[in-house]
Amino acid sequence: MGTEPFYEKLREISWRRKLTSAEERELREWLAAHPEAQEAFELETVLTEALGKMPDVLVANNFTARVLQAAEREALAGARGGQLGWKVWRRLPRWFPRVASATIVVTAAASVYLYHYNYNVEARQQELVQRVAKVQLPNPEILTNFEAIRIVSATPAPDEQLLALFQ
Amino acid sequence: MSAEQDPDAALMLRVKQGDTAAFEQLVDKYKQPVMNVVYRMLRDMTEAEDVAQNVFVQVYKSASRYEVSSKFSTWLFTIARNLCLNELRRRSRHPADSMDAAHPEQEDQPWQQFEDKKTFSPPETLLHGELEQKIEEAMAELPENQRTAIVLCRQDELSYEDIAKVLQCSLSATKSLIHRGRETLKQKLKPYLRTGVWRPK
Repeated sequence: MGTEPFYEKLREISWRRKLTSAEERELREWLAAHPEAQEAFELETVLTEALGKMPDVLVANNFTARVLQAAEREALAGARGGQLGWKVWRRLPRWFPRVASATIVVTAAASVYLYHYNYNVEARQQELVQRVAKVQLPNPEILTNFEAIRIVSATPAPDEQLLALFQ
Repeated sequence: MSAEQDPDAALMLRVKQGDTAAFEQLVDKYKQPVMNVVYRMLRDMTEAEDVAQNVFVQVYKSASRYEVSSKFSTWLFTIARNLCLNELRRRSRHPADSMDAAHPEQEDQPWQQFEDKKTFSPPETLLHGELEQKIEEAMAELPENQRTAIVLCRQDELSYEDIAKVLQCSLSATKSLIHRGRETLKQKLKPYLRTGVWRPK
């Protein structure tokens, strides 16, 4: 009964609107040939009427005003935030984003290079300090006889007359 | 779909340009249908009002990205459904949250400006009111997707294809949801529907 395409089509139409005279005539003819479907279709019609008569839900009389207030709050929140930045961004020249990106990349690379350079310099300095720290300096007391040692250690000047005799 | 074919889309394009009056027009036009859908999904008036207002705030926030790719109403009800699903998920994670807590952003505003929201059926015949209540109860017991499909069916501006887009399923699956939901409602409401007493003469 309910699976006939013709009946299904008219039934679906009847859910949304009143059938036209032609549609009603076609339906009556079909129901006359299928009396077992008569009761079911009458129930459909009554249900459709009942659903159509469901009352509207009450809407508060300040509903629109509250919506407009909420929308205004949203607009103000947006203006304080991203919209202002967006207006400034839109006025920048087209090449600006690329140049800005390139600048950021170069600055980042330079920063990394300088960091490693400075790190290496400091490392070498620390290494040198550690090496020097290991060297043992002589006792300062030996320097008190320094003058005497210097005189004794001094070599005499060459005898040039004697050297000339050998030549 | 173009703005010329959909006047609401044309209004939304004006909202995109900063036209607040156009936004107000859209809110006034759709606040009732959105409340109807949201309330019947959430079954709580306070939450429904909060979520319904958030629907329009989301519309406003999305205005700058709005493109006319489908009907405005389809887009609007998709937002409404998604916000309702978020709320239903939140409920399932935090079932003990108080429903009466004051709204954190609007404490200076009177939350309720009408007296009794539980009884919203018109004061007509008792039988009619009883049927309405039974329909509401039966609808509340349906699975969410069937309930949403049937509620969206009441929106004249939405075709079956539009409803399918809101539900994010195929056209045949949408019609199947509506059919299964209606079958369940018929079974539950048969005693009331058969009498026909409530039908106006």
